[in-house]
Amino acid sequence: MDRSILVPTRKSRTEMLSFIEATINGILMGGLYGFIAVSLSLIFGVAKIVNFAHGAFLMVAMFLVYWILVLLKIDPYVSAVLAAVFLFFFGYFFQNVFIEPILRREKETAPLTVILLTSGLMLVLENVALLLFGADYRMVKTSYTGKVWDIGGLLIVQPRLIGFILSLFLIFLTEIYLRKTNLGRAIRATSQDREAARLMGIDDYKVYKVVFGIGSTMLGFAASFLVPFYFIHPAIGELFVLKSFVIVVLGGLGSISGAFLAGIIVGLIESLGAQFINSAMVESLIFIIFIACLVVRPTGLLGKQRE
Amino acid sequence: MARKPILPCVALLAAILFPIFVRDPYFLHAAIMTLLFGYLASSWNIIGGLAGQHSFGHSAFFGIGAYTSTLLLLYLNVPPLLGMIAGGLLAAAMSIGIGYPCFKLRGPYFALSTLAFTEIFRVVVTTTEEVGSINLKGAAGILIPLRKGNSFVAFQFVEKAYYYYIILGMLLLILLIYSLIEKSRWGLYLAAIRDNEEAARSIGINTTFYKMLALFISAFFGATAGTFYGQFLLYIEPILFSSALGIEILLIAIVGGAGTLMGPFIGSLILTPISELTRTYLGGTYAGVQLIIYGGVLVAVMMFAPQGIVPHVAKRYRALLKGGRRPR
Repeated sequence: MDRSILVPTRKSRTEMLSFIEATINGILMGGLYGFIAVSLSLIFGVAKIVNFAHGAFLMVAMFLVYWILVLLKIDPYVSAVLAAVFLFFFGYFFQNVFIEPILRREKETAPLTVILLTSGLMLVLENVALLLFGADYRMVKTSYTGKVWDIGGLLIVQPRLIGFILSLFLIFLTEIYLRKTNLGRAIRATSQDREAARLMGIDDYKVYKVVFGIGSTMLGFAASFLVPFYFIHPAIGELFVLKSFVIVVLGGLGSISGAFLAGIIVGLIESLGAQFINSAMVESLIFIIFIACLVVRPTGLLGKQRE
Repeated sequence: MARKPILPCVALLAAILFPIFVRDPYFLHAAIMTLLFGYLASSWNIIGGLAGQHSFGHSAFFGIGAYTSTLLLLYLNVPPLLGMIAGGLLAAAMSIGIGYPCFKLRGPYFALSTLAFTEIFRVVVTTTEEVGSINLKGAAGILIPLRKGNSFVAFQFVEKAYYYYIILGMLLLILLIYSLIEKSRWGLYLAAIRDNEEAARSIGINTTFYKMLALFISAFFGATAGTFYGQFLLYIEPILFSSALGIEILLIAIVGGAGTLMGPFIGSLILTPISELTRTYLGGTYAGVQLIIYGGVLVAVMMFAPQGIVPHVAKRYRALLKGGRRPR
């Protein structure tokens, strides 16, 4: 469970204040969820690849940032760049070595083989991490871990706010990249119609590799934003990957703004639910919303209706 | 040309004689788990293999079966054999509620929705301590009290060979049912749905109905495996509902060969002993080694033999036979 939600509460504070605080914390955490979901959405929306190992990638990135901090004493916000670069090549390589041969072999656009393959890789990555690092929950200590800003009695966890702002900024950059650069346009073209894009001379397999790389890069950043205030564990990816799929579907496949908005909604449900209902029941509520959304409105909140 | 069933007969004979020659309870335990997972994966095979609907949530039915029979035993003193049928029927009834929304979805969405369903079950059972006077014990799980002697009424046996023969019989039953369905008209409908659902619908097959029916049967037998598991290990816990177990069931069937009669069992024959061995010999110090192997095998199979091991080997074997004869 999400232990980071436990923000100190004082009995003297009014119900209203704690409501506002839960809302703010929900939005901040939701922004990070949204950011992670955007990275999944890119891969899912463009390459139609269901990457079950996405959470495991995040876990790899988190451990990378963690060890860089512990061994080399480099601050997570600095090593973010290192993690991002490493994850780009990790994702690119992953797509190149494991997924591309299957995509070339099978004619379907979203073969189940790929889902199974990525679940297999998830098992391998998670359990190798378990073997190497053990099942302990790790937390880092930085000068700003646990620091809060007190704004008129409202407590806001600093690293959360920083993570939120940086996530927002990076999503904005991604959006510009997709709209303004040639490769970005090629990515969007491939996502809309792979065959047509190929006829226009776009190397669709290259696009897939790049998209996989970019999606993984974002995870590298996300990991650096999480490490200062979140626990680290070999199975942490599972916590995020299911939520990310829920968010991607809720926001509409391939829609970046949709994924971000849905991320905030899920963050809000989670933090308000944990405060006022019961955090475990909220977890199942999110899945119920997910199934309902798939069945009733498969295009998501902001997705375009297909003809 | 009729094929003489030499290999199946030899295998069956070996399976029947196994507990007579292997007295070691540890190996017998591993053999029972292998048969159990073969059975569970074979029950998945009816919806996943025949109908081609790769459910990630078969563990939901397994868990329902385990909890139903155990609670009936503890609170109403219902013999587990009856509880097994009750659990099966309950799971089958639940499968209608699960199948109805999930079957509206295709491919990855179907997979994700079944996974979400089983996770809902896991979360609810994990966090529910009691319902009225029934104590579910949440995450702690439920212990089934130990009885003395061998009893079919209590479904508890001191000698593991009893469990062995029961699960062997259950496995043979599900294989029989599978092949009966496969050869029936219904089986042909399911094959049509698996190969091309749109085309199947266009020629007038009520695809949703037949998929639901397949899930119904699949759920029933999946749940009976849950009862067997509970009575064999005398301990059940919410992890039985987890998507991780759902993936494990699917993985065993797919590695062996989904949609083939023997595939899921062969998958279990390859993977379950690995899991049992590593759990015992590497155990606590190297937790998760068997999952690394599982994952690695799955990746290799997906890359080099995506239909599974059984069809892959069968193809090679046939090619070898053909290669032996000179073409005219």
